[in-house]
Amino acid sequence: MNSYALIPFLPLAAFVINILFGRKYLKENAHWVSILAVAGSWVLAVMALVDVLGGNTINFDLYTWMLSGGFKVSVGFLIDQLTVVMLIVVTTCSTLIHIYSVGYMHGDSGYYRFFAYLSLFTFSMLMLVMANNFLQLYFGWEGVGLCSYFLIGYYFNKKSASDAGKKAFIVNRFGDFGFGLGIFVVFLTFGTVYYEPVFSQAGGLAEATFNFLGYDVHLMTLIALLLFCGSVGKSAQIPLHVWLPDAMEGPTPVSALIHAATMVTAGVFLVARCSPIFSLSETALMVVALTGAITSLFAATIGLVQNDLKRIIAYSTVSQLGYMFLACGVGAYTAGIFHLYTHAFFKALLFLCAGSVMHAMGGELDIQKMGNLKKYMPVTYMTMLIASFSISGIPGLAGFFSKDEILWMAYAGESPVGKFVWAIGTLVAFLTAFYSFRLIFLTFHGKFRGTHDQEHHLHESPKSMTIPLMLLCVGAVAAGWVGIPALIGEKIGVHNYIAEFMKPVLGHPEGHGTHAEEMVVMLISIAVGLAGIGLAYFMYILRPELPARLAQQLSAVYRVLFNKYYVDELYSFIIVRPAIWIAKNVLIGITDARIIEAVVNGVPSAIAAFSSGLRKIQTGLMQHYATIMATGILIIVAIMLLR
Amino acid sequence: MPIAMPNLIPVMPELVMTGVAIILLMAELVIKRKETLGFLSLISVGLISYLLLGSAGTTFGGMFVSDGYSTFFKLIFMANLVLTVLISPKYLQTMRINFGEYYALTLFATLGMMLMASAADIIVLYLGLELMALSTYVLAGFIRYDMKSNEAAIKYLLLGAFASAILLYGTSLIYGLTGTTNLRDIAVYITHNGLAKNPLLMVSMIFFAVAFSFKIAAVPFHMWAPDAYEGAPTPITAFMSVGPKAAGFAVLGRVFLVAFGSVKTDWSVILIPIAVLTMAIGNILALSQTNIKRMLAYSSIAHAGYMLLGIIAGTPAGISSVLNYMFIYAFMNIGAFAIVIMLRTEGFAGEDISDYEGLGKTHPTAAALMLVFMFSLTGIPPMAGFMGKFYLFMSAINAGYTWIVIVAVLFSAISAYFYLRIVMLMYMKEPKEVIQLNTSPGIGLALAVTVSAVILIGILPAKVLALAQQAVTSF
Amino acid sequence: MLQQLFFGYYAFMIIILSLLVVTRGNPVHSVMWMLLLFFHIAGLYLFLNAEFIAAIQVIVYAGAILVLFLFVVLLLNLREELSLRQIAGSWPAAFFIVAALFITVTAALGAYVQGPVGSYSIEAIRSETHTKALGRLLYTEYLFPFEIASLILLVAVVGAVVLAKRKLRS
Repeated sequence: MNSYALIPFLPLAAFVINILFGRKYLKENAHWVSILAVAGSWVLAVMALVDVLGGNTINFDLYTWMLSGGFKVSVGFLIDQLTVVMLIVVTTCSTLIHIYSVGYMHGDSGYYRFFAYLSLFTFSMLMLVMANNFLQLYFGWEGVGLCSYFLIGYYFNKKSASDAGKKAFIVNRFGDFGFGLGIFVVFLTFGTVYYEPVFSQAGGLAEATFNFLGYDVHLMTLIALLLFCGSVGKSAQIPLHVWLPDAMEGPTPVSALIHAATMVTAGVFLVARCSPIFSLSETALMVVALTGAITSLFAATIGLVQNDLKRIIAYSTVSQLGYMFLACGVGAYTAGIFHLYTHAFFKALLFLCAGSVMHAMGGELDIQKMGNLKKYMPVTYMTMLIASFSISGIPGLAGFFSKDEILWMAYAGESPVGKFVWAIGTLVAFLTAFYSFRLIFLTFHGKFRGTHDQEHHLHESPKSMTIPLMLLCVGAVAAGWVGIPALIGEKIGVHNYIAEFMKPVLGHPEGHGTHAEEMVVMLISIAVGLAGIGLAYFMYILRPELPARLAQQLSAVYRVLFNKYYVDELYSFIIVRPAIWIAKNVLIGITDARIIEAVVNGVPSAIAAFSSGLRKIQTGLMQHYATIMATGILIIVAIMLLR
Repeated sequence: MPIAMPNLIPVMPELVMTGVAIILLMAELVIKRKETLGFLSLISVGLISYLLLGSAGTTFGGMFVSDGYSTFFKLIFMANLVLTVLISPKYLQTMRINFGEYYALTLFATLGMMLMASAADIIVLYLGLELMALSTYVLAGFIRYDMKSNEAAIKYLLLGAFASAILLYGTSLIYGLTGTTNLRDIAVYITHNGLAKNPLLMVSMIFFAVAFSFKIAAVPFHMWAPDAYEGAPTPITAFMSVGPKAAGFAVLGRVFLVAFGSVKTDWSVILIPIAVLTMAIGNILALSQTNIKRMLAYSSIAHAGYMLLGIIAGTPAGISSVLNYMFIYAFMNIGAFAIVIMLRTEGFAGEDISDYEGLGKTHPTAAALMLVFMFSLTGIPPMAGFMGKFYLFMSAINAGYTWIVIVAVLFSAISAYFYLRIVMLMYMKEPKEVIQLNTSPGIGLALAVTVSAVILIGILPAKVLALAQQAVTSF
Repeated sequence: MLQQLFFGYYAFMIIILSLLVVTRGNPVHSVMWMLLLFFHIAGLYLFLNAEFIAAIQVIVYAGAILVLFLFVVLLLNLREELSLRQIAGSWPAAFFIVAALFITVTAALGAYVQGPVGSYSIEAIRSETHTKALGRLLYTEYLFPFEIASLILLVAVVGAVVLAKRKLRS
């Protein structure tokens, strides 16, 4: 047995211990178990990284679950370059956020429960990324979804929280349905669910078609798109993005870990993992790229006008996830994963800073009621500022390198929609810088706009919270240095390490542009970032009355954006309400035999007579049951005989 | 005229069962502690299971056959009986209906099921069915002072009689057409005389499908189930939701694959809409229930829909996946009912879904067990329910019914909502009131058995599946 | 021709009488119609050369069971419930559906093909006598179903005892 198998099972053990002994014995010490376990996983992950850097790829089956004919399911782990990057991201973020939670959740009644779920989540996420087959991937996929559901609804006494949990769960069912089907089709096509044979055989089936209801469907496109359905749900892309902003009802460490750094990126991971399949279908790649691009623009525009601190960051997450898909869609999987990796640091940091602010503000989330917090919370301010610089693409910081890589790949790649998504990406870079700094300026600068009480309570967060902030901040600054593009790298003597590292799994498409073009693209992206920051400075520091006036003048646009393009209302109108209506009126109608009653009683007067008779005879519906049975027989007989 | 002694070895388990049931009836007069009767029936199950394994053979002029198929089903019936007897005594005491006939009647019902599983002749099939049904009607109405229990019994009885009449009609038609009631002879006659396209054969086949659909509670012949399940004593609800359903599937499989095997294309046309409707109505109506027994009733309807997929597939893989699923279903469903029974105390029904609020806090063990059963019923790995569904769906896909599997997956996704709602209530809500658990060693043992079966089969499914695959090689 | 007339009369009367049994308001009337119904069924058995079953039908059903029914009805003293409507309001629709089913199945009957006839022809029964043939079959070929039927009767008795016990609670 390989010791790397312990990576997911340490957190699982922590979960079991906490759930069994947490309430009675561990209580306030529950975090120790979880933190030690996750830290252990981190150490092993680092060892795995060293191992993989040394050129080893590890693929082994731990335990065979079932074996029937050619079909085999086992718990097996594949540790290659892609996995190892994910392992580092997941265990690092998870460890830091576990530590942060010690301070954040202090005194909560469900302390042990929180840590138990957090560990369970870490286990599921690690199972997801380490799987060597689709079924285990699916297992982890559903596992993280379930933990997400539990943790969003953690404050279950709050109706909005339990509603948000339900929403996340139900919306994800839509995506997972496609994902499940995708795995079925994979199995039907390849006769196995293991990555290795699937990916090695995929090339031979590049032109295969699949007859579905009389249509010939390009097989690889079908598989890729079905799998992508799962990605769309999990990574909150249009049209299934609606759950993520609501998921902010969960505790902030959860938002940071699950809804920013790890779980939501599983969709990107899935696309990257299945890159041998996606690469065979131009259509699928185009869908991925366009979905990503449109989502990133869509979410960024919504983020411009929101006032809820965490929701702004949530829309920013949706937008950045769109970026990653955009990258994958133009074939630059490495760039997508690179962005996933840098994004994990600065976005987790943003969320934890937001949590720190909430901590100080007594749970207040409206940035219009904040201001001048930099005076009271210097550490939070500095770290959040750096994270915002990073996300805005200020040169030298982590976000800059990954974002630049994506934009360049989009521009110079072979994708037919490359130039188009590059343009959108650049626009989004501008918007991102703008809303990130709108957040900074409204929260930390200007005058404090909250109540007197709140001002009195303002304080910096405890060490257990600020230390993770600082550590993540290091990541937000330096994480990108492993992927410095050749353009700059040549001058300072470093390579694009991550691109070389990932090449064996994800390939590395060469751009078709000149150095000069690359330089222009880079300068444009820097320029729009700075312009966004500048505009935010102008509007919220120099001319603070301007935003309100602008909102008034462009009230139609403002309202559409503020109400998130009315997508929730649209879904409520076309899906939720009809479904509830059908359930209530049509289906319950059948149980109450109302419809049947109406059908059976041709004469209205008979209905009245019947319902009064019904009360007297306890077994009144019996006749109806028999009538329905007879109707069933009649219909079947008629169909079979007239056929 | 000399009368040849029939070979009794194949029917030995049934004979012992009959003997034990009659002894229990008489012992009831002298034994004051009724639990002793339950204990006796448990011992007899051990003996019968032992006899079952060596009972292969055909007897009574080919009317009764003991093969792998029937033995597998009989093992399910034994599990069903043991678990029911284990969860019963405490409930009977709480409800103050601790009468000794209870155990004899469950034994007779199980005997009926065993006869059905082994019936190679429609007459034996029908009589076994009636034996099972009659015992179950009485058991459903066992709480005589309770109107709901009475209602359950009378509805089940009257509609059951209706279904029996349909079955007899079908039998008379097939006898008229083929001059025999033996399943194999019917098959031979149909193929040799080109009856396959005869409309009357079709009608007869439909009548069989309808009667069996009634027993497995498939839509639109399921109407009795929610009322009967809700009103019956809870251990009997558990018993009814597994035993008669399994017996229904046993005869459905045998009659349709043996007697009507040559007209498979025709009967799959009948069963497909029934299966789809069953999954739809079962899952959708379960959503709106507030009573847990009613919800589990609709859930058991839905599960019949899934299992029909295996019959529709009609391949050995399909039938073996039905057997496999039925076996798993017995454990997970009775396990869930055992929890429902534990919530019942004197003066507190504990049957509202809202009664489960905060159970995770007040009774973490019970809640954890319920979670396992709900997960398994949803079909979430690594619980056994997932494996069962997986093999069913695979067999249907391999038989070319991909679109029905898509529908089934869709509905089983919907089912997650109402199963996981219970989980959500248990763990995400604060307890409304302090609920006392009505535990007993019997229920404890039943829960231990069911939960370990659900998890073990989930993790090591190969054994049961191999047994099921072996079982269907006999026909 | 005479045979058909004979059969037609009995079959038709059985349906009519059954309807009368289930539609009467007064249970005593129902029981009386049932008596007549049983005689007609016995007539059909006779028509099939099954004089033993016909006799049993009259002795057991008409003689014993119906008298018991009558006792129960009289003992219960159902005066208040006599005015109850026996059929809930939905009967026209139910009637329509059942009638349609009847017509469809009857139409299918046109496709009837006579299956092989068994060894018990009318001549064989006449030579062996009906009672003897029946007894022989029950104890040889149909021994197994016969025994199961006895268990069903046992369960029916036990069930009746359980459901009619004076003690409601233990």
